[in-house]
Amino acid sequence: MIDNKTFMIAGIIIAILIGVVAVFLASGDPDGLESTAFVVQGEKTLTGASPEDGDAEAIGLGTFEYDAPLPDYSMEGAGKIGDIIALIIGVLITFALILGVTWAITSKASKS
Amino acid sequence: MHIPDAFIPLPQAAVYWLIAIIFIALALKWARNELNEEKMPLIAVLAAGIFAIQAFNLPVGMGTSGHLVGGALAAIVLGSPYAAVFILTIVLIIQGVIFGDGGITTMGANVINMGVIGGFVGYYSFKGIKKAIGNCYVSAGIAAWLACLIPALACAVEMFIAGTFPLVPGIVAMGTYHALIGIIEGIITAGAIYLIHTTRPDLMSLEAGGAAA
Repeated sequence: MIDNKTFMIAGIIIAILIGVVAVFLASGDPDGLESTAFVVQGEKTLTGASPEDGDAEAIGLGTFEYDAPLPDYSMEGAGKIGDIIALIIGVLITFALILGVTWAITSKASKS
Repeated sequence: MHIPDAFIPLPQAAVYWLIAIIFIALALKWARNELNEEKMPLIAVLAAGIFAIQAFNLPVGMGTSGHLVGGALAAIVLGSPYAAVFILTIVLIIQGVIFGDGGITTMGANVINMGVIGGFVGYYSFKGIKKAIGNCYVSAGIAAWLACLIPALACAVEMFIAGTFPLVPGIVAMGTYHALIGIIEGIITAGAIYLIHTTRPDLMSLEAGGAAA
């Protein structure tokens, strides 16, 4: 048994470690959905390699576009350091946002 | 399996959003009733951990990678499918808005696949399998495998409705890749449950915790 504070700090450290390891070890291959997009476009066989510079989203008919501030978990031009910073930002924002939302809805419930 | 904006036309994306909002509302209701200060560390650590593991694309061969979803993990540890909806919604919002992983218009569909379908499949298959075989960790592993595979198949059907993928090749490819990704998901889910159970057994929902004792 460890106390709440230790549990949270350990949890955040584990999450950040997973993220940092991911920066160096994560596969550059497209994910299952993108791979499927290549397969159905005939750019990839089911078990074959994925095209190096293919655009998985070329097949889509959607028109909406949005530019994220840290696209693909990276900072433009900042290399691996940028990737690590992006992931740490992500872990901390996730942690803070869910605590904030949980706090907001549970404290409202306690008032009513 | 984060669906980008390009993959679903707007009218259909709106329908998925509407369905997702209903489940998000139910998840918020669950959170208001079930969460308290004692559970806040667990839910916050789970969310941060799920964000991190989703960023880790593991090679599964065949020119493809996959990352864990975490829906089954959240639902089993917190004892409700709505826990998965709640956590995955927050994670998907951050991924979509800040990192461009998963679209904005398609976020509703992503919440349905990974949060709702993943959470419900993960939770109820865990309960059923545990009843049949007894072992909490094996049950969680199989449930997590299903909670990875079935949302992927749902996603393939959505892609067919959207006109993006043909039905059968889409199902075959999505099913093949996520059956493999799901094996990793199953192992990690069982491991994470073991880890939480060892460090803080009091935080686990009774069903998951009691079975392992």
